[in-house]
Amino acid sequence: MERETGSRRETVRQAAALWVVRLDDPSCSDADRAAFQAWRDESHEHEAAFEREAVAWARLDRLRVLRPPGERPDRDLLEPARRSSLPGLSRSPWARGMAAAAVAALVVTGVMSFGTSTAYATAIGERRVVVLSDNSRIELNTDSKVVVRYRNGVREVRLVRGEAVFEAAKDARPFVIKAADAVMQADGSAELAVRLRSDGAVVTVRKGAVDLDPEPTERKDELRLNAGVAAIYGSAGSRSRSVSESEIDRALAWRQGAIALNGQSLEQAVAEFNRYNRQQVSIADPSISGLRLAGYFQTTEPKGFVAAVTSAFPVRATEGADGTIRLSRRG
Amino acid sequence: MAQDDEDRRAWFRREILPLEPDLTAYARQFCRDGQTDPEDLVHETFARAIACKTWREVGNPAAFATRILRNCALDALRRRKVLTITAVADFERIEPMDEAPGAQTVLESREELRALADAIAELPAQCRRAFTLRKVYSLSPEEIAVRMGLSVSTVEKHLVKGLRYCSDKLGRRIGRKNKVDEGRSWSAKRDHDAKR
Repeated sequence: MERETGSRRETVRQAAALWVVRLDDPSCSDADRAAFQAWRDESHEHEAAFEREAVAWARLDRLRVLRPPGERPDRDLLEPARRSSLPGLSRSPWARGMAAAAVAALVVTGVMSFGTSTAYATAIGERRVVVLSDNSRIELNTDSKVVVRYRNGVREVRLVRGEAVFEAAKDARPFVIKAADAVMQADGSAELAVRLRSDGAVVTVRKGAVDLDPEPTERKDELRLNAGVAAIYGSAGSRSRSVSESEIDRALAWRQGAIALNGQSLEQAVAEFNRYNRQQVSIADPSISGLRLAGYFQTTEPKGFVAAVTSAFPVRATEGADGTIRLSRRG
Repeated sequence: MAQDDEDRRAWFRREILPLEPDLTAYARQFCRDGQTDPEDLVHETFARAIACKTWREVGNPAAFATRILRNCALDALRRRKVLTITAVADFERIEPMDEAPGAQTVLESREELRALADAIAELPAQCRRAFTLRKVYSLSPEEIAVRMGLSVSTVEKHLVKGLRYCSDKLGRRIGRKNKVDEGRSWSAKRDHDAKR
């Protein structure tokens, strides 16, 4: 039966297309026009099909710009083999440059769109601010990726890799963040940071409030996280604690291109620097990994960090052939 | 009355027709078991949409059109002699496309021109020639008939064939492009604001 309707659709569209062609013919008579009116009045199906073909026919008028000036009609102008030489279609050096630039921009800014979702990504050492259509903001830290999907009345953002700060704009639609199996719903004008870990993630709420459901598949109570609360969740469960404003600032120092250390171990500090740089730092001697550090460092200057460490502690740095900086105990 | 009909058709052209690629994608969800043709659903949706006498009161054309399409899908389901489990299950699962983006403006760009020329280039040789003479050189069907040594009705057949190919192609692809980007980067945002 459906095959039948398929051919019926085609029959109607063919008839509509013939009317479009006829009515546009300068020799179209009044009798033809009257016959068309009668045909169109038969059904809304005819009427809609005619509009569809007529709009396509009108759009095809744009092809006129391809006509070479002052030439006799060339019926093979649009032959596949010749199309590339048409001035209107060929890529001018400028257009080629733009195309190359567009490709470069895609690589540099890391925007990829598939269907209704759009992915934004950063490379190692890169930071990026994305403003969404509703003026919500996403700030991506190094080597991070989010997929944005606004549809069915929901603003959904999935953190696929790394770390990001989300600032939800006020809107009737809920703002939902998905990260490592958990689902978070942010209040309008909430600001929160989410950082993926090897297992689960850390959520820090700076403004507003967020409802965190670490395991949406199970019916467990959600956690309500208010401003000044950080939560950590993973396969072992979830817990939250309050954090001070300055602690949040330190955790988010990357937004100013910095790493703020306040008593972290050398091991933690090295892991942090390695997120931002291709040049990696490794600890060759476990006995120094527990050293405690404090201070502000540029995320992209591991050498400055290493110089600070070697001057303050009995630590020696050697650079390997692959560029890796190895830290070991001096003396 | 005649003016009112013309206004209604203009509304259909402006608000409903450009939704075709989105509607087709949406319709495909109802046709996973291969028993219904998604293009039939869109075709029927258009017929029901253009019949709407109260079109002036339609606030969100995309939501309006998807609601119609859903009803068409449901009707198609009811007409079936054999219902498959997946078809019914699908129906329950598919959410309304209430956030469909608004009607797309036609891309007045080199991009669209290239897409149109691509479509013509894909036609069989005689059909392509007749179409080129009609649309690029604006020759009348009679002039084309003389030039190509064909009857006027054969030229018409070629033109209809070319138009059918192009209208289906336009309904499928063009307009998809400019809807995807949900956001804009800093520089793009500034451009956007500067324009306002």
